[in-house]
Amino acid sequence: MSLEWLSPETIKLLLEGLYLTIWLTAVTSVLSLVLGVVVGSFRLSKNRILRWSAAAYIEIHRNIPALVLIIFWAFAVPQLFPADLRRVIFFDNPLIFQIETVTGLSVPYYTLAAGIALTLNTSAYLAELYRAGVGTISQNIVDAARTLGASNWILMSRILIPRGLGAAFPAISTRLIHHMKNTTLAALVATPEFFHSTQTAISRSFRAVEYLLLAAAVYLVLSSLYAKLLRWIEDYLNRRPSFNRVQITPLEGAQNLVLE
Amino acid sequence: MIEQIEFIYSHSPQLLFGFPGQRPGGLLLSVMLAILAIVIGFFFALLVGAGQQSRSGPVRWVCQRYIDIFRGLPLILLVIIIYQLGGVRILGFDINPLAAALIALVLYSSAYQAEIVRAGLLSVPRQHVESARVLGSSPLRAFFTVELPYALRVMTPAFVGQAISLFKDTSVLVIIGAAELMTITRAVLGSDITNLQHWITLYLFVGLLYFGIAYAVSLIARRWEEKSRSSELVHSLTTY
Repeated sequence: MSLEWLSPETIKLLLEGLYLTIWLTAVTSVLSLVLGVVVGSFRLSKNRILRWSAAAYIEIHRNIPALVLIIFWAFAVPQLFPADLRRVIFFDNPLIFQIETVTGLSVPYYTLAAGIALTLNTSAYLAELYRAGVGTISQNIVDAARTLGASNWILMSRILIPRGLGAAFPAISTRLIHHMKNTTLAALVATPEFFHSTQTAISRSFRAVEYLLLAAAVYLVLSSLYAKLLRWIEDYLNRRPSFNRVQITPLEGAQNLVLE
Repeated sequence: MIEQIEFIYSHSPQLLFGFPGQRPGGLLLSVMLAILAIVIGFFFALLVGAGQQSRSGPVRWVCQRYIDIFRGLPLILLVIIIYQLGGVRILGFDINPLAAALIALVLYSSAYQAEIVRAGLLSVPRQHVESARVLGSSPLRAFFTVELPYALRVMTPAFVGQAISLFKDTSVLVIIGAAELMTITRAVLGSDITNLQHWITLYLFVGLLYFGIAYAVSLIARRWEEKSRSSELVHSLTTY
């Protein structure tokens, strides 16, 4: 098989796309994990208004397809503003140019919008998973920590978040891999990520077979690498001896966590 | 505002049922595609899910690769590969976008469903199958009369969840223009510059349509699951 279809320019184009895909996946994965934990904690809150608004947030962003969210944020939201204001806010915004100087990526508003939409979509799923993970934490541990005088902050940062995430992590990994695959949807709002650069390469060379199979191989490798990375994080999160496995009392377990 | 509502109202027949005088499209087609793909995908999933537990190594290997590949690829890429390669390159003619869409959805969904099938089959108590075998039924008969009905009941909630997710995924078919809801939405907006003011209301409306169906089905499924769980409990109490 000859590789003459893979010219230096297209290699550069594809690598730039790959670079943006990796950046987009990394940044939005972290953001949606953080947002998911925040919304999930609101969902568990005793305050009724917080709880209901978190539930509404979750249901809205889970039940609307990611693609609709992306197009909505990228193309529809700017139409809310009159033309001159739109230019200033979305396209000539110095904040948007700041991103370029930091990451070396040229990030037009459409790319940002795709990132926002993907973050909203995935964070809704992660919030539910985090809530389920917190549900598996034994009430004894929480009570014991409270008895030891742990503040809300200590309880959250030492027990609820690490253990909740650890328990739900297999499901969270599945969702994050799905999220990585969803970044291809950003191509539909002209984000120059890998799928988009594949399409550009095809339209320049009319070599659909080669580029599509190459893209398929790249995405398969990317998803298995991402799965490996997430498995590693999962092991890291669950590396502390769990008091369910090691035979110590909940009080001792909480003491270890709170007082360490 | 009135103008916007009128715009949506005048286009809602297309959005819901597709363009008049053509094949069904819009929301109706999205729902139909999701249902068809989940039903056809079930048969593939049954083969792959059962094959994963086969005693033959190569069969297990093939089934595992099938799942890895179709779960590892983004759906949008799978759709384009089947539309462009399956049509022009292999068959030598343009494949109908609808057929390509259905094939892609079935392959994609069956990989996810195979995992559900595998978990469902593993949940069947061994004693049930062994009792059937002791009573003289063939392995195949025991599978269809004892294992499958039991596993199906366990698998149903997961399948409903998969169907909802597939219904939302039909939106990516816009890339080959399969006439489902997103394609029609794009066609309605067109490239007409005077339609720019309608983008936001139309996408809110389309989001509402997706939300309505997906949320309603998930609520019904949740209620049904609670009900069947309690009836199953009663059933197990009376049988044993």
